[in-house]
Amino acid sequence: MTPVVLGALALLLAGPAPVLLARRAWPTRVPRAAIVLWQALALSAVLAALGAGLALGMDVLFRPQRGAVEIIVHSLVTALTCVVAVRLVWAWAKVAIRTRSRRRRHRALVDLLARPDRELARGDLTVPGIRILAEQTPFAYCLPGVRDSRVVVSSGALDQLDSDELAAVLTHELAHLRARHDLVLEAFIALREAFPRFVRSRTTLEQSRLLIEMLADDAARRRVGAPPVARALVTLAATSAPTGGLAAGGHGTLARVRRMAEPAGSHRLLAAATYLAAAALVVVPTVTIAIPWLNRLADLLP
Amino acid sequence: MAGMARLGNLEREVMEHIWSSTGPVTVREVHEALARERDLAYTTVMTVLDRLAKKSVVRRVRDGRAYRYEAVAGKDQMVADLMREALDGAGSDAHRAAALVRFVDEATPEEAAALREALAGLAPAETSPPSTSRRRAHRG
Repeated sequence: MTPVVLGALALLLAGPAPVLLARRAWPTRVPRAAIVLWQALALSAVLAALGAGLALGMDVLFRPQRGAVEIIVHSLVTALTCVVAVRLVWAWAKVAIRTRSRRRRHRALVDLLARPDRELARGDLTVPGIRILAEQTPFAYCLPGVRDSRVVVSSGALDQLDSDELAAVLTHELAHLRARHDLVLEAFIALREAFPRFVRSRTTLEQSRLLIEMLADDAARRRVGAPPVARALVTLAATSAPTGGLAAGGHGTLARVRRMAEPAGSHRLLAAATYLAAAALVVVPTVTIAIPWLNRLADLLP
Repeated sequence: MAGMARLGNLEREVMEHIWSSTGPVTVREVHEALARERDLAYTTVMTVLDRLAKKSVVRRVRDGRAYRYEAVAGKDQMVADLMREALDGAGSDAHRAAALVRFVDEATPEEAAALREALAGLAPAETSPPSTSRRRAHRG
């Protein structure tokens, strides 16, 4: 029974649950809690899937009569489950290594090609590691790191943004760097990489990306108010870029701009409920399914 | 850390010199150009050029018994490449999404129109922007 229940749970958490959650509007009101909920959803799905494989593989131990074929089949299932687990860890390591080497290379070039600017450290907003790239296209991004993070702003962005809008952009980027939002994304990317193309979906990664941006938008809004954040978003998104490769991010941007029109309430109750749901997603299957099964397994031992 | 920052500045200066030179340069030429107005060891310039070669931004070409150094690409080209990596990276390719985090993705013309509309709808409900905010003068 245990493998069936866990398998059904894994399918439910990996398939319909993300699709249903992505359609709801309330997570954007509590982005931090919602990110934790997406993490819990992913963790619970992985644990359920691995648990199902292990339970199915070990099932043979609970049977009084064991044939050679049964033992081989169940051993294979157990081995396969272990392969999936190793693959997951391996994918994570690969993504981490690749991300860091790409970032190191990019940072080296930024340091050579862009100029550091101390002028931008004004008021109580100091931006360590800021670099100005002489380029008319307005853009801004950050390169996360432990001590060598960078915030890169193009001179075109400096020209087109007023001081509040620029403060909004910089506060947004600093929020990413301080909270290491990139690590959250890295885990979701690894999860996507680890599973075959036909089972993985973009929903989880896209939703967590959007929520992370919203979280950083909130940090910017607290400093300069909503209108400069919205204006900066539109200025930097809606400038025709010569790169050709248009990213499919406009939809999320629209949601971010519209969100700035809504009052910034604290939504404490909603956040608490979301955190509770996230905890339940991980704890309830563990306590109700995994622990009883482990106890039964322990009883078999002499 | 101060030493690292100094080395970083020096790397930038050496690159500027290489970019402004007409052909491949020797360590001696770079040293002579940069040591004019300050105390700078020959070996430091050698180290810097070595580091730049390791970063694949300059390449060594053999010239008789000595080595000459040249930039792998012009400065404008490298800035353009860097920007392309930054702008393309976030949306389309999930691998790069975590390498750098962009403020906002580019919008298609249709999306841009929708964005401006949303902003226009937002403006009347909000108070006018603070008077302290003004357009920044062009920075050179």
